[in-house]
Amino acid sequence: MQTTLAAVAVLTVGYILAYLLFDRLRDRFGYVGGAEYVVIGFLLGPRVTGLLGAGQVQDLTPIVSLVLGWLGMLLGTYFRLPTMALIEGDHLRIAFGEAVVTFAAAGGALFGMLHYVAGFSGRDAAVMAVTLAAVATLSSPRAVDAVVDRARTGARILPILQLTARIDALVGVVAFGLVLAVFHQGDVSPGVRPPTATEWAVINVAVGVASGVLFHLFLGPRGHLDEGRLFVALAGAIVVASGASYYLNLSPIFTNLVLGFILANSGSAHRDVTRLLLLTERPVYLALLIFAGAAWSPVSADLLFIAPVFVIIRLAARFLGGRAAGLYVAPPQLRTPDLARGLLAQGGIGVAIALNYTQVHPGVQSRLILTATLLSVLLFEIVASREATLFIASLKERPSPPEGVNVDTALPAR
Amino acid sequence: MIRRLVVLALLVGGALLLEPLRAPTAGVIAPRSLFLFGMLLLTADTFGAVAHEFRVPRLVGYLVAGLALGPSATGIVPAGVLEDLGMMKRLAVGLIGLLAGAELRVSDLRQRHRSILFILALQTLAVMSALTALGLLGRGWVPFLTGLEAAPLVFVVLLFAATLTVNSPMVTLALLTETKASGPLAKTTLGVVLVADVVVILIFTATFSLAEASLGGETASAPEILRHLLSGVLGSILAGAVVGGVLTLYLRFVKRELVVFAIVLVFATAAAAQALGFELLLSLLVAGFLVENVAPVRAEPLVSTLHQMAVPVFVIFFAIAGAELHVREFRALWPLVLAVALVRIGAIFLSTRAGGRLAGAEPVVTRFAWTGLVPQAGVALGLATVVADRLPRLGLAMQTLIVGVIAFNESVGPLLFRRGLERAGEIATR
Repeated sequence: MQTTLAAVAVLTVGYILAYLLFDRLRDRFGYVGGAEYVVIGFLLGPRVTGLLGAGQVQDLTPIVSLVLGWLGMLLGTYFRLPTMALIEGDHLRIAFGEAVVTFAAAGGALFGMLHYVAGFSGRDAAVMAVTLAAVATLSSPRAVDAVVDRARTGARILPILQLTARIDALVGVVAFGLVLAVFHQGDVSPGVRPPTATEWAVINVAVGVASGVLFHLFLGPRGHLDEGRLFVALAGAIVVASGASYYLNLSPIFTNLVLGFILANSGSAHRDVTRLLLLTERPVYLALLIFAGAAWSPVSADLLFIAPVFVIIRLAARFLGGRAAGLYVAPPQLRTPDLARGLLAQGGIGVAIALNYTQVHPGVQSRLILTATLLSVLLFEIVASREATLFIASLKERPSPPEGVNVDTALPAR
Repeated sequence: MIRRLVVLALLVGGALLLEPLRAPTAGVIAPRSLFLFGMLLLTADTFGAVAHEFRVPRLVGYLVAGLALGPSATGIVPAGVLEDLGMMKRLAVGLIGLLAGAELRVSDLRQRHRSILFILALQTLAVMSALTALGLLGRGWVPFLTGLEAAPLVFVVLLFAATLTVNSPMVTLALLTETKASGPLAKTTLGVVLVADVVVILIFTATFSLAEASLGGETASAPEILRHLLSGVLGSILAGAVVGGVLTLYLRFVKRELVVFAIVLVFATAAAAQALGFELLLSLLVAGFLVENVAPVRAEPLVSTLHQMAVPVFVIFFAIAGAELHVREFRALWPLVLAVALVRIGAIFLSTRAGGRLAGAEPVVTRFAWTGLVPQAGVALGLATVVADRLPRLGLAMQTLIVGVIAFNESVGPLLFRRGLERAGEIATR
């Protein structure tokens, strides 16, 4: 009894201290990250109080999968084709340019560090590098939207910033989904020929497409469900799609991204679906942080250097990507060399990717990935909001371009 | 409906197609449980919608969906998967407890305390007496009573009766939430059901200790029986006060992210309940009640958050409860199950009418309160499990009969209560 009471006391005091600390950061930097929830998860988990033992953390898999899939699906709903068709080609080129350069730079640097410095095998280093590069490439669409909404300015770069955040997330999730498929982990049933890397990649996409089509049919053409019932239907769809992905050791985030994309582009329920997903994004994100905290365990001391180096690599890759896209890909009227300053926030998908990785590849590497991701997400979220606000404020001082752009129509659907 | 069923069939077919490609991993994840949990949610939602179209409570649809997929019928969701989903069910029970406690207002209790007390006292007395009499008279037909001597016979029958005296806060709350019913019948029924939860657990603990002692179990002395009572009920109330205190502090100083906080709180309480041996539902019920009525904070944000979460929580709870229904037992023992269930309903009917009259309750309460006291679900099933676990010689046989009766009450009860609310004119018109 004393142990349990002590655990409850540690949890309560730990949470309140963490809350007070991060509340200061909220006041000072406009921090919105919710790192206290990582702390609460860590305190709840097997490493500290053990209120959530390893077995119970495992029992929570349905909720974790729901959370991972939820974020994937939300990302998918951002890409509504009728609205995307209105986006200017230049904007898409900048967004993809930034995402691809950031991903390639981060991936290259991480592979070098993991293979040549940390001594991982080529295959392990490649999988880890792609995973961490995917995390590094991510920017949080929600955080960027929040800053842009607050800015209330019509600068032409703002819709590009919002689009880039979405494309960054897309590139990150797709890269991670593909790496789990191409470097597939686990065996198939005896007597069945193991699919090739390409076949796994196709299966990965096919599971998402099949789920999307089936749930489009399930929700029906009208889709006038009340919020509670829509939540149940979506939760069921996400858990089923995630279950299918886990069955095959693939990424539920990727599967649900495809599912969300199909739901957003078919039927008339897409508005309700997107609204509900956006409404629940914050609690889902915080729940994810709690799970990540509970699942986190320390990495061996000799590998601990990777986490801070990852933060530096992300920062460098982000600025390199921003500079390449903002300076060389962008047409003269849209040149913004410091584009990366508006894209520092990482958001929940990064944590989701790391958590997904720990499920598919349990072991030392997964602890490393989770440690690096959590450190990066928490640090960048302290500075991201302030930096993005300053960046946007600096844009106001520049002369406006001659032709205006309608911010709303230049954005993928919300 | 047909479209939805086709989709569900295609999903199951798709899962079978993927089976050969399944990658058995180190056991971190149970993909099958996950997939089937999703199927259960989707099927429950579909069946709930169908039930609603037939003016039957949605929760009956959720139960039927669970039953259809569960081990008793098709076996698509096997018993092992239900075990994997135990944590989800505990979460649902905890959130329902918190919501139920917060729904119980002192002002309502004060206003209707006479009706609640009279109905509760007479109902408890009548059901206990009727089922005890039935057990004693029909002991030749009841498998677990044959061959018992006089003292154990009486105490075991009392235990049996006490277990079946329990009502269902889950069903009551689910129906009131679904129908948005409001009025004297809704308030009185909720009050009776929630207070009865505390009273009946006390009676159950006492009769259980007596039965265990009379059967030569470990618990024998009066102080030990008292300790059981203290640890079981008072411990839960104390734990509820502590949880209520934490909730109050949170609502006072933080007041953010209530959905996440409520879920974490329930998980932490469930873990503590498991470690310390108190009852999750009762403790969270007390916590919700204290926050709503005693704490110097506004509980409205918490209550509205819990209401937002209500539909998914009810779907999870009742779909899993449906899958756990033991139809085979019902099939084997149906004459006995039916006799017990009808005697229980009869006792509830007569006692609540008498209680309502004596208390001077509103006519709708006197006439229809019995409908809300018939349903049984999670609490009763939990007590039946305790009986099966702790009384190895006859517990399993007793559990089988009790579960059969609960299955009947769980299926018929919501229909009766909805009808009662309808006839009382308390269901909101939409």
